[in-house]
Amino acid sequence: MSKYLPKLSDLKKDFEDKPSILKGDYSKKEWWDTPFEFRDGNWSFPAKPEVVEELGFPNSRKWSALDDDWKLPADWQKTISEGLKVRLKKYRSLKLYLDSCVRCGACADKCHFFLGTGDPRNMPVVRAELLRSVYRNDFPLVEKILQGFSGSRKLTSEVIKEWHMYYYQCTECRRCSVFCPLGIDTAEITMVARELLNLIGVNNNWILAPVANCNRTGNHLGIEPHTFVQNIESLVEDIEDMTGVTVNPTFNRKGAEILFITPSGDVFGDPGVYTMMGYLLLFHHIGLDYTISTYASEGGNFGMFTSNDMMKKLNAKMYHEAERLKVKWILGGECGHMWRVVHQYMNTMNGPADFLQVPVSPITGTKFTNAAATKMVHIAEFTADLIYHKKLKLDPRRNDHLKTTFHDSCNVARGMGMFEEPRFILDNVCNSFHEMPENTIREQTFCCGSGSGINSEENMEMRMRGGFPRANAVKHVKDKHKVDSLVTICAIDRASLPALMKYWNPGVTVYGLHELVGNALVMEGEKKRTEDLREHPMTGFDDEEGDVD
Amino acid sequence: MSKAMGRVIQQNRKEILAGWHGKALALFSEKMARGTPIFDLLHEAMGMILDGFEEGGESCTEGLSSFSRIFAIHPFPPSRSMRLFFELQTILMAFVSDDESRDLLQTRIKEIMLEACDDFMAHREKIYQLKVEERQRSMFMALRRAEG
Repeated sequence: MSKYLPKLSDLKKDFEDKPSILKGDYSKKEWWDTPFEFRDGNWSFPAKPEVVEELGFPNSRKWSALDDDWKLPADWQKTISEGLKVRLKKYRSLKLYLDSCVRCGACADKCHFFLGTGDPRNMPVVRAELLRSVYRNDFPLVEKILQGFSGSRKLTSEVIKEWHMYYYQCTECRRCSVFCPLGIDTAEITMVARELLNLIGVNNNWILAPVANCNRTGNHLGIEPHTFVQNIESLVEDIEDMTGVTVNPTFNRKGAEILFITPSGDVFGDPGVYTMMGYLLLFHHIGLDYTISTYASEGGNFGMFTSNDMMKKLNAKMYHEAERLKVKWILGGECGHMWRVVHQYMNTMNGPADFLQVPVSPITGTKFTNAAATKMVHIAEFTADLIYHKKLKLDPRRNDHLKTTFHDSCNVARGMGMFEEPRFILDNVCNSFHEMPENTIREQTFCCGSGSGINSEENMEMRMRGGFPRANAVKHVKDKHKVDSLVTICAIDRASLPALMKYWNPGVTVYGLHELVGNALVMEGEKKRTEDLREHPMTGFDDEEGDVD
Repeated sequence: MSKAMGRVIQQNRKEILAGWHGKALALFSEKMARGTPIFDLLHEAMGMILDGFEEGGESCTEGLSSFSRIFAIHPFPPSRSMRLFFELQTILMAFVSDDESRDLLQTRIKEIMLEACDDFMAHREKIYQLKVEERQRSMFMALRRAEG
């Protein structure tokens, strides 16, 4: 709780004065009259023409958000208008969300981008209004007579620019929806707005390039199958060097019991690769019969940030590969939006996967009835179950060089309600875990500020602003408990939080949960371990007394 | 002056900080409300600068770094952020009466502002460093292979 929270007298004064969120010259005007400006650091590059063409998307061209003329197609207004009508009919939730908002303002100060920028268009209610105001323009006569009365406006190229700026300043994290008394999910409005923008070629390269890669190779990074295998084999060698244990992942093996799918960042990027090493150690430790697909080589799904159809297409490979490899069920790695797609959409989008079985842990016998429909289990649930049944030999002292806190990834926390499992694991693999303030964790978790495909370098300043509320909560435990390690279960978090921490909280390092599991696992036949998976020295393991019995 | 100034600041800290903090919040394009993280962090940073105003030291240095870190990522020009130190000067001038103290106050404000400029630029450089490091991290395995 902030020590600077307003006093009753302050609130009373605010109420009596009724200050506008709009200042100065704009205090008496409509919100859409306030200026906005594309500047270095607050927008992402548009998709390259070859990327747009590869995907078969419309209006490929070279352009920039800084241009006056965005080279929109001749009939762009008609395309947007008809596109909106189609989606209003197709998605009942969209119409409900657009119609039901009463502007109560409960969401207003819940958005990390609003808190980090102070820009009123980043209030979820106003962000939704960007689209709603155009939707309301079905009554142009009323608008003509009573200008501003209906809250509607014409669809102009300025509106498209505004959409492009602010729908890419929403990470679809859904924190606002937790506080909405009507349950309006602004993320779904953002998703539709982005879908509409893609219809006229207003897009984002950091999203469409991975989508094109995934469409071509099966993963966002465009890793070809042989490179995918080589990377994991390289990690196997690292594990052998560090632990003396040879793990044996298999690839595209038909008849394996489980298909393991994780974000490709875990196979290619730092610090994701250390999380991958943790998975490999865990699976070897319990003798899991699993295989990894070089085609379904991506858990994430940037289609979700593009269009419903693209999300469906990119997701389909999971079930295709599971069927082709004749596995019993699918185990999924640490990712955020992957789990929103899997948990909320996959079954109805590409299921039912009747060829798979309701997942049962081969080690503990636990039936994961929560995954009865999708046939896909989250690795944190799987590992927590193993620990609960005492199937893992763990030495939490091996993480004593870390003082940890846990960042709930938005989509896992709010999208599937998983709060306890990662904490249970952390409690068992390390001795020092401290929670961030209550209103910044679990269902109220703050986004990293870089989710939903806005993690581009050129957008860095905006990301630092949007991620500030999360960083501020980390600062709290850093100051209070000397926390130096931020643990998370999302690939985008692992990619983006290191920069956020380095800016706002130097000295705080980002870890995947299963990297810490990998550190703590006592493997059969291992050599004396003195370093963690990053080859950093473990505390108390540099002499015989610190060795494990 | 400095000791006298430090005493004046401590005696009127709440009033000075409220006035200065208000000027900082006014820089943002729209309302930055009470209870928001930026409101809190700015309040804390500006308080630290005031506490170390007299002789500098760790409090002042940390406060300036925190202050500059916030403004280095916001879209208004650096001159607009740095102008806040002139605002502080104006606020403090109301509390000193003799010319000598005023001159010394101006000198101290200039010193602090120059330190803040250095901090501001360091944070701008950090942004570019973060971009490079992020790119390196995203290509970790490729770089590792290239390095043999």
